[in-house]
Amino acid sequence: MNVKYLIPFVEAAYEVLQAEANVQMQRGQLALDKGAYITDEITVILSLVGDVLGMVFYSMSEETALKIVSGVLGEELKEMDALAQSGVAELGNVITGRASVKLSHTGFESTISPPTLMIGKGALISTLDIPRLVVPLKGDPGELTIHLALVESPNKGVSSAKLAVPSAPIIKLKD
Amino acid sequence: MSNVKFMNPFVEAASEVLKAEVQAEVRRGTLSLQKASLTTDDVTVLISLVGEVQGVVLYGFSVETCLAIVSRITEQEFKEFDNLAQSGIAELGNVITGRATIKLSESGYRSNISPPTLIHGRGIQISTLDFSRIVVPLVTEFGDIVVHLALRESPPGAGDHNFVPISIP
Repeated sequence: MNVKYLIPFVEAAYEVLQAEANVQMQRGQLALDKGAYITDEITVILSLVGDVLGMVFYSMSEETALKIVSGVLGEELKEMDALAQSGVAELGNVITGRASVKLSHTGFESTISPPTLMIGKGALISTLDIPRLVVPLKGDPGELTIHLALVESPNKGVSSAKLAVPSAPIIKLKD
Repeated sequence: MSNVKFMNPFVEAASEVLKAEVQAEVRRGTLSLQKASLTTDDVTVLISLVGEVQGVVLYGFSVETCLAIVSRITEQEFKEFDNLAQSGIAELGNVITGRATIKLSESGYRSNISPPTLIHGRGIQISTLDFSRIVVPLVTEFGDIVVHLALRESPPGAGDHNFVPISIP
């Protein structure tokens, strides 16, 4: 696991939570975890495929999820209904999307999968041989933990050439 | 809306892989389409697809089925669902999904797959949100393997931005 993937996610999470839910988050203590992750009440799972490969989990308590989604929607949500589930998954989607754009600026192009939402405490999630970098973010709504299990793809740059296509012809023809 | 045309490559791939790896005959059970979230069995392998077809594929097993399959693949008796067994069953999901995506690309839907994630714990709810799932039980001598396909064709222009828009009900 490479720490260089971390900053884009932390930045993206800050920016998205600030802009969407108007909350400030503080970064807690980093940890590298090789064991399985024991789920919190709510977990959003997304995969990255491309030059960087792996999974991202966002875990939080139900209370935190409801507070954040209430902030995003501007209305008080009391239970984890379809709207709240969709909202929290979308939040994971937006953070990851933003992070993947930042990653692409550092030369790692990737595409993200649609989010999957897990509800239920105490299951074990294993990313197998990919260790997880764990970053807790703390703030008013509670704690949101980002788990990054990412590796550089062995095929980085092999599968396709990414050539920028100019919008206008470079060579001007004389008439 | 999940699409049935994406199902056959997965059923074929699963049959071929299980036949090759564990010499098991696979029979397809009754199909269903589910919109509500799924409640996990003992073990779930989750793999995402990204590309011209996108979404999530989940393989659900009981621990007994996992152990029987892994024991057969590695030709040694597994009593416990330890790291090696977990790795083996995740790899099985990976191989089936990889083979299925090759078949999908032959029918014009290219995609890449994510590394597998293994979920160990019964009774957790997994929601694929606005992706409805085609659920295909595969009946084998080792027990049932339930394949959940939450896949759809990527909307045109999906490559232009870096995330998938989700509709809010």
